[in-house]
Amino acid sequence: MSKPLEVLLLDDEPIVGRRLKPALDKIGCHVEIFESPIEAVARIDQKEFDIVVTDIRMEEMNGLQVFEHVKKKWPRTKVIIITGYAKMDLAREAMEKGIFDFIAKPFRPDDLRQIIARAAQALGTPIDLSLIKD
Amino acid sequence: MSIIIISSDSEEIEEIIAEKVAVAMDYNRLGSQILTDVAANYQIDPVKLSEALETTPSVFKNMPSRHWRHYLSCIEAEVFDRLLKDNIVCWGLSAHLFVTGISHVMKVRLLSGGGRNIGKIAEQKGITVGRAEKLIADELRQHKKWSLTAYNLDETDPSQYDLVINLEQIDPTEAAITITNAVEYRKFQPMTYSIKCLSNLALAAKVNARLLESMVNIKVQARDSSVVVLTKASNRQKRKKIAAIKELAGDIEGVSYVEVHVKKNILTDATENPY
Repeated sequence: MSKPLEVLLLDDEPIVGRRLKPALDKIGCHVEIFESPIEAVARIDQKEFDIVVTDIRMEEMNGLQVFEHVKKKWPRTKVIIITGYAKMDLAREAMEKGIFDFIAKPFRPDDLRQIIARAAQALGTPIDLSLIKD
Repeated sequence: MSIIIISSDSEEIEEIIAEKVAVAMDYNRLGSQILTDVAANYQIDPVKLSEALETTPSVFKNMPSRHWRHYLSCIEAEVFDRLLKDNIVCWGLSAHLFVTGISHVMKVRLLSGGGRNIGKIAEQKGITVGRAEKLIADELRQHKKWSLTAYNLDETDPSQYDLVINLEQIDPTEAAITITNAVEYRKFQPMTYSIKCLSNLALAAKVNARLLESMVNIKVQARDSSVVVLTKASNRQKRKKIAAIKELAGDIEGVSYVEVHVKKNILTDATENPY
């Protein structure tokens, strides 16, 4: 069996992590969830994740700062931004910095799974979404 | 890949550069040739569609506001439908004014300056150079007025664009190269969010075109398959109008839920036509 995809999920709203973790578990991801960006960044310093999914607006540190940190430490890691404050300028800024994808909340868990699958493909470790059992 | 929308103060220049860019990028073209398809799809005289893109509503020109809005909405719906396919250079359809907030759409404004050969225009029309200059100035003024009336946007305002090129200083080939280089920036690449925004606008445009066929005072927003329609009606007609909107909009492919918000319209209280 291939190695599971290591995913860090960061959102200061606890419900987001609680809702998305099971959805990503179903496609064989190993997910660690965080509500504090400081704690998430500390974990990123310890471990190379394949994918980091982060909210943008958070108290101690914003999602783009988390992205900068990830890029400096682990350039291979794909970063996906999820936000309830999506605007064209922010989307362009994030894209220009090098994020993998950007999605506006609310979204269906399957929308995120599709993005994760594309990120996995880009990392050379494709996952098969047809195996999902809901 | 991205979408490039080119607009200019000269239709000729717009088309020349769009063609160069389409060839260089191997992109599809989306220009005024689609008006025949719009006319066929919505059963409208193609001449009326062209007129709607050039003139503001006027009873004297046989273009009442209600029809004008409907014609424009049909063009918008068709343009959005085609933009969903991506890798497109679009021009000549005023898409720069109604395709808004989509990060993978790069908008370019070309200032023709000396690129417009006044002498040639004067010769073609059999008028003096001075008269040709005045004609062009009037045309520009008219089109600015059109953009403000149709979309409440001044198309001559450079802040509406991602890239503005003055063809008095940059030759057309260089301009096309500049455009093809700029669209390669990561910020103009599609992402899940921008694709979703575009499909929401496309669905809203489709509903808008359907409703404006028989109604006025319609604004439509879409999110996924849910549609919100804002309208005006008198107390007397409110219920009937909501039912009609729900029926028409709910019939459109891709719509699963319709919500209607009605503001009171005192003016229609006294009229027979509910819409």
